[in-house]
Amino acid sequence: MAEQKSKPTQDRGMSAGRRAFLKATAASVAFPYVIPASALGNTGTTAPSNRIVMAGIGIGNMGSGDLGSFLGRDDVQYVAVCDVKRDVREGAVNRVNQKYNNRDCKAYRDFREVMVRDDIDAVHCATPDHWHAIIVIEACRNGKDIYCQKPETKTLREGKLMIDAARRYNRVVSGGSQRVLEDYRQAVDACWSGSKGAVRSINVNVGPFPTDCNKPAEPIPDGFDWDMWLGPAPWAPYHPHRCSGSYSIDGTSWRSFRDYSGGGMTDWGAHHFGGATFAMDVREMEPEEVIFHNENGRKFATCRFPNGKLLHHNYPGRGNLDVEFAGDPIPSKPVPGYAGTGGIYGDFIDCVKTRRRPFRDIEYAVHTANVCHLFLAAYELERSLKWDTARQQFVNDDEANRLVDVARREPWVI
Amino acid sequence: MTNEQIAKMTLTAGAATLVAAGAVAQTNSAEVNKAFETLKTYDWGADRATLNPIDHAIIATHSDAVARQALEKKLVDALAGGLSRSAQDYVCRKLRVVGTSQSVDALAALLTDEKTSHIARYALERMPGAEAIAAMRDALPKVGGKLRAGVIGSLGVRRDEASVAAIAAFLGDPDKDVARAAAQALAMIGTPAAADALSEFAKTAPADMKVPVADARLLCAEQLLADGAKSEALALYKALNGSDQPPQVRVAAIKGMLAASTKK
Repeated sequence: MAEQKSKPTQDRGMSAGRRAFLKATAASVAFPYVIPASALGNTGTTAPSNRIVMAGIGIGNMGSGDLGSFLGRDDVQYVAVCDVKRDVREGAVNRVNQKYNNRDCKAYRDFREVMVRDDIDAVHCATPDHWHAIIVIEACRNGKDIYCQKPETKTLREGKLMIDAARRYNRVVSGGSQRVLEDYRQAVDACWSGSKGAVRSINVNVGPFPTDCNKPAEPIPDGFDWDMWLGPAPWAPYHPHRCSGSYSIDGTSWRSFRDYSGGGMTDWGAHHFGGATFAMDVREMEPEEVIFHNENGRKFATCRFPNGKLLHHNYPGRGNLDVEFAGDPIPSKPVPGYAGTGGIYGDFIDCVKTRRRPFRDIEYAVHTANVCHLFLAAYELERSLKWDTARQQFVNDDEANRLVDVARREPWVI
Repeated sequence: MTNEQIAKMTLTAGAATLVAAGAVAQTNSAEVNKAFETLKTYDWGADRATLNPIDHAIIATHSDAVARQALEKKLVDALAGGLSRSAQDYVCRKLRVVGTSQSVDALAALLTDEKTSHIARYALERMPGAEAIAAMRDALPKVGGKLRAGVIGSLGVRRDEASVAAIAAFLGDPDKDVARAAAQALAMIGTPAAADALSEFAKTAPADMKVPVADARLLCAEQLLADGAKSEALALYKALNGSDQPPQVRVAAIKGMLAASTKK
């Protein structure tokens, strides 16, 4: 990853026709993009020609919730939905068409057919985690902005590739944890106010770790493209627990299993560690070391950031989002927030229009995911590891570096 | 050398021997041996926990090369002994972490089989050493269809310069997955030869390959720039700033030209 990166800047693009603007925003030109009042319909709703045209990819469970949140906005128009489950995509098509009282929304099984449509500005992705990097990168190279559910990555290598794709093509890429801003406000406000001093450390209690799945084969349900669901993950027989999108992390959903997720460490870790790094104001950094502790069989770990701040995981005797302060009070800082209206979804849409970077910009989201992955690597190997943020490699540890990524099942390559 | 130094060395060597003996013992413990026996009949639906002693032995042997080598050999022998797909899957996952040149032949034998090619790459793609790359390079002419895309992708991840010509030959493959994998792999390899192959293909690329090839050329340019090949990178960027390119590609090309022109 490119050194310790500067904080994402507020890129703006040239004012032009909406689609040309969205696709061709040049970084060197800076004008605010404002939808003129004359472009609004008489009812006060956004005229169809000025709505952000969207598609949804992975639209069951969390994807269904995301779809509803975007669909409720009058500045968004859905024209496509994509899912490997026929009943899910047909249900979503009906839902969208009912909303607009037309039959314009099209259903897709393969996201690549969605990405090549010139009339789509932005997509939301809520597939299982093992698909995120491939879909985000494909969106960027096809000139589309994307809102991607958390955890945004499944491996360390994926993160840099996703950031690079977003920056290369000047795309708005938002991560998907609304909790980072909304759930930990007490800790964030306490830290950013400076009244208790500087933050020395924060502890996060989260889990469990992902496990291997060896479930037996069961018949593949009619209308379910199992091979596409597996995608880049190793082949395995269909089992409903292997691919259930429920929010359980107890071995009955894909969130439990190593090939598709980092278990609770990334599923809830994306929220908790995201909140903790926000509170500590280290969103623009990655840890440079993860220290593994084994005290009489009690295992816990600590990430150390370049500025010395510590992020503990399961530190004995400390609660979740427990903050350790040090020193005298320090000056307060204004807490950043969402743009636009409508929470994290409104933030994304506003940024699509203005070309600003969203609150949960992919760079910040990847840094949080990397915290999760670094902890997982240390626990898997049961030793401390040093992380070279510029090279995106562990330092002098060939074995650990094998965990930086996984080979993808053919034909998927990133 | 003082007596004190000698005594300290002896103690250190003794401690190391004890650690090694402990690790070897763990590698050959009843639990580990039982797990390897279980592996012979392990299949989908079996209790994954029965293999945990092997997982633990991997951690325990981290600092003991002899014990680790012995453990790796057990895994390789198991693989050669005929296992279910689930058991092969397990062994390859372990070899991803502990595999060395000692494992390469056994893994290479799996590369051409549709059922095992990916899981063999799972172990080989991130295995240090030239042998792992050579095994995948040698497999490329022997595999077809989807497997070909996979092997090409892994050679790209490893930035195997020796594969540029072989991979470039697949840029025009009628199987779009293979063609896209070839473009992506050449981008990752990122040498002047890879750039030339991509640029040559771009002249006649079919419509559905224009974006993948433009993307590959942009990635290739970034790689060239990072490696100090500024003029080659600049040439790629300039070629991508034409009116025949999609807007997002032109934006990227302009940014690339700026980056190249300011790079020292």
